[in-house]
Amino acid sequence: MVVKPASGAIVKVCPTCVLQSIQSGIYAASPHDTVWIEKATYQEYNIKVDRPITIKGDRYPVIDGEDQGEIITIYSDSVTLDGLFIINVGTSYTTDYAAIRVVKSKYFTIQNVVLEKLFFGIYLEKSSYGKVYHNKIIGDAVDEYNSGNGIQLWYSNNIEVDQNHVQGARDGIYLEFSDTISITNNTSTKNIRYGLHFMFSDDDIYENNTFEDNGAGVAVMFSKRIKMLNNTFRLNWGTASYGMLLKEINDAEIIGNTFEENTIGINIEGSNRINYERNNFIGNGWAVKVVGACYENKFRQNNFLYNSFDVSYNSNLNDNEFDGNYWSSYTGYDLNKDKVGDVPYRPVKLFSYIVNRTPETIVLLRSLFMEIIDFSEKVSPVFTPDNLVDTNPMMRRIE
Amino acid sequence: MRIHQLSILFILLLLLVGCSISQKPIDYGEAACHYCSMTIVDKQHAAQIVTDKGKVFNYDAIECMMNQMNEADAPTVALFLANDYSNPGELMDATNATYLISEGIPSPMGAFLTGFSSEAEASAAHASHGGELYDWEGLKEKFKE
Repeated sequence: MVVKPASGAIVKVCPTCVLQSIQSGIYAASPHDTVWIEKATYQEYNIKVDRPITIKGDRYPVIDGEDQGEIITIYSDSVTLDGLFIINVGTSYTTDYAAIRVVKSKYFTIQNVVLEKLFFGIYLEKSSYGKVYHNKIIGDAVDEYNSGNGIQLWYSNNIEVDQNHVQGARDGIYLEFSDTISITNNTSTKNIRYGLHFMFSDDDIYENNTFEDNGAGVAVMFSKRIKMLNNTFRLNWGTASYGMLLKEINDAEIIGNTFEENTIGINIEGSNRINYERNNFIGNGWAVKVVGACYENKFRQNNFLYNSFDVSYNSNLNDNEFDGNYWSSYTGYDLNKDKVGDVPYRPVKLFSYIVNRTPETIVLLRSLFMEIIDFSEKVSPVFTPDNLVDTNPMMRRIE
Repeated sequence: MRIHQLSILFILLLLLVGCSISQKPIDYGEAACHYCSMTIVDKQHAAQIVTDKGKVFNYDAIECMMNQMNEADAPTVALFLANDYSNPGELMDATNATYLISEGIPSPMGAFLTGFSSEAEASAAHASHGGELYDWEGLKEKFKE
């Protein structure tokens, strides 16, 4: 049955309608129509959306792909998917099946969908100017080889990824060769590898996201001009685990984030001209671990609270700057009451060099002998770089 | 008594494993790539080298292994190993493999590089995905560029 509202017709699909399958509903629709899916279970896969339409579910109808392969593939501009429950995507070693794939299309919106038992969740391929909003992606990845990524962007640009919940995938959100993307207000948790992962992607921003209990929080690699603001990185524990991994990153802003209880808060390799401001590093093994050559990084107004190691280096300071941070292990004084400590703070402990060289020595952490050599090093630096100091350590936490 | 013998055997085994030059299974999902620090999860693109001292380094992608070999401090390698795309999780002798660089099969570090133990499988993948085929020597040349 077809009703004519103001914009486009409504094409109804239900088990007792003329149109009983979603695919037949799509083929019956004209451009800018709405395909209305009544609440029921539809066993379908390889559904092709080849025209600019809205597909809307009534109280989350279930589309069950029965592990046969890809479920919905969009090949047209201006498609909206809204309010569907999609389950049982097929898995394969050679084809990346997705619950929803968008191919070379623009102006799409994918919202309010729930995906379960997936391989890849939402896969955007060479697509742009779209929105992925308020979806729930629940994988049950137990080992990495039979799981894909929750939301994957490949050669896509100008996409908003907002208010999604992703868990139990390989990477929660993965960007490869994707520029000018905004990733905001998402929760990415319990993923096997990373909560969020950038490769070769420039000018992206991610803000107000929570990354908790993933293999590792966020990996940003080979990318330029990424803004990372007000995110939370928690509980990423393990040998290859960290809140954030930066590798070959230039000109980034890392502001207002919280790194709490990670093996390594931020692991930095070969990254230059990065501003770290007003971040909180709380209760990590290493708050910041710098590996290899990094130039012109500035750390200002960060709180370093109760980390086993605040900063660890394995090379020279290379004109990186620490200025005006708060260090909970600072024991200096402030006689002139200007809220800035009168004695410079040296964030790199001698012991961290020993641990870098011989990781097994970590068992000596908190031993009296180490306390003594760290103390003597603090009094008169011999081994640690002389210029690696914060000359203005704050006396109070920075709010 | 038996426990005693078993433990002696176990220690001997440990000694053997500790010094012999042989491949070690990769702990997928836990191990990190020696070159790029990424967690190794892809069972079709990982690689491994064993140095002349029996030290094992794992890589999440064949391109990471190749890039490491071009570094100034590259170790002396006794064994080059790589995943066989057709047999996920299996390590093959990388020096006798056939390689395909094709946009049709993405690899973890963006080089679109995949290894096959069988030349026929490689040709089949080449036929369906396009791209370029390389042998080990050719691949080494390619990464020197």
